[in-house]
Amino acid sequence: MKLSSIGYLFKEGIKNIWNNRMMSLASIIVLVSCLIITGAAMLISVNVSNLIANIGDDNQINVYLDYSLSDLDSIKLGSQISKIPNVEDCEFYSKDEGIKEFEEKLGDDIYQSMQGDDNPLGNVYKVRLTDLSEYKDTIDEIEKLDGVMSVSDRAAIARTLTKLNYFVGIVGFWIVTILGVVTLFIISNTIKMTMYSRRFEISIMKSVGATNAFVRIPFIIEAMTIGFLSGLLSSGVIIFLYEPVRETAAGMISLIGTSTIPVEKLWLQILLCFCGIGIVIGFLGGFISITKYLRKEGGEILGW
Amino acid sequence: MIHLRNVSKIYPNGTEALKNISLDINKGEFVFIVGPSGAGKSTFLKLLIHEEKASFGKISVNGFDMMKIKNRKVPYLRRTMGIVFQDFRLIDKMNVYDNIAFAMRAIGEPEKKIKKRVKSVIELVGLNGKEKCRPNELSGGEQQRVSLARALVNKPELIIADEPTGNIDPKMSFEIMRKLVEINNRGTTVIVVTHEHELVREFGGRVIIIKGGTVERDDKIQTVYHPADQDEGDVGT
Repeated sequence: MKLSSIGYLFKEGIKNIWNNRMMSLASIIVLVSCLIITGAAMLISVNVSNLIANIGDDNQINVYLDYSLSDLDSIKLGSQISKIPNVEDCEFYSKDEGIKEFEEKLGDDIYQSMQGDDNPLGNVYKVRLTDLSEYKDTIDEIEKLDGVMSVSDRAAIARTLTKLNYFVGIVGFWIVTILGVVTLFIISNTIKMTMYSRRFEISIMKSVGATNAFVRIPFIIEAMTIGFLSGLLSSGVIIFLYEPVRETAAGMISLIGTSTIPVEKLWLQILLCFCGIGIVIGFLGGFISITKYLRKEGGEILGW
Repeated sequence: MIHLRNVSKIYPNGTEALKNISLDINKGEFVFIVGPSGAGKSTFLKLLIHEEKASFGKISVNGFDMMKIKNRKVPYLRRTMGIVFQDFRLIDKMNVYDNIAFAMRAIGEPEKKIKKRVKSVIELVGLNGKEKCRPNELSGGEQQRVSLARALVNKPELIIADEPTGNIDPKMSFEIMRKLVEINNRGTTVIVVTHEHELVREFGGRVIIIKGGTVERDDKIQTVYHPADQDEGDVGT
């Protein structure tokens, strides 16, 4: 192929989109919808993975003390916890400090009524572990001590999230697969429509000696451009909606706010990934339909 | 240039369109192919452009062995020939210039070369001043001249005209034939498939009659027409 032809072929591909604009618009809309759903599944999976990793990396546990435990016994218990080999640091966190965290949320009246003996919270030791691989054994050991009511078991949360991530992964995989096939089908149908509307031109091209590669290129460019535009639009929608959705979710579960990835760190990847997927799907859809057409009726000179 | 030896074509439905044909067409010849409908003329043309492959025998066209040619080489075979269709086959949304240029663009020629060459064939077929016209703004004869210009623009060694006068009035038919003779006089081999015996008698030359899938006659007949007869103003370059 001569270099001089590239500009011509590219122009023809773009012209095809305009000439076939209603069909192109319809396929862009469907592709954008498919990509948004696919992208949402991917982002949920990425964020849940991040959440699990954050929880796994967090080496701090809360040890809740019996309500009846006296201050002296609480101090003794603290020194017992500190002696456990895997404990790096053990910090007392009183129930008064605990209730103070809720001051704003509770309002002044309720907060005042929960002071002193009316405080419903218990005292807590915030324990930092040295080695996370011995997490389970250390918790078992702490739970055996007298005066310990319970230990916050973050492993349980991690296990639940892992299950959720697995579920999201499976569902996401099928969403991506099914919508991938749907988008391929849509894009190849669009190209098929263009091909049929231009079959007369293709026939003339073949009669004057155009190679299959030359006939194919404008259709592939058309499909890739549709894919690229769809990628661009859907990534725009995702980037625009990502932060508000994340903030809303964080408002409901505070862990989401701290352990999910902010849009500043993700927007470029989202943009590149979506445009890339759009281009690849466009290429495949265009290539499959034009190759199939040329192998069958497109190789003939019409009406002869 | 074109050599057929014991060529037969049997279609999958059992129709034997050509039966044991042997003939040669040399470079620079002007040949009429005549015969009734269903005689095998179209099949003959299809074999020449490799739209169909012969069932038996040997064919060579412009140096390509048609029995062995690979699919990827077919475009290069077709670049050595220009085809003129009965129904012109012009693209409605393109003007005259673009219809002709399309044949060069389709094989990846650069725009500079296209501009020069299209201008020259437009002059050759006498369509100066009509470059911007759409096909529906032209008469049948003019449309066929555009089709002829498109067939010529890639400088083929061979022109195949399939009923080139079938859709135009007698005066225009004469004009198109004169153009074809003119092109032939410049050294291009021309094969014209036609039903119009009057044109054959007028222009003469070699006449191959195909009937029932076989060559019934292959004669040279006296030419009545001489290039000097052409009207003033019908200039080529």
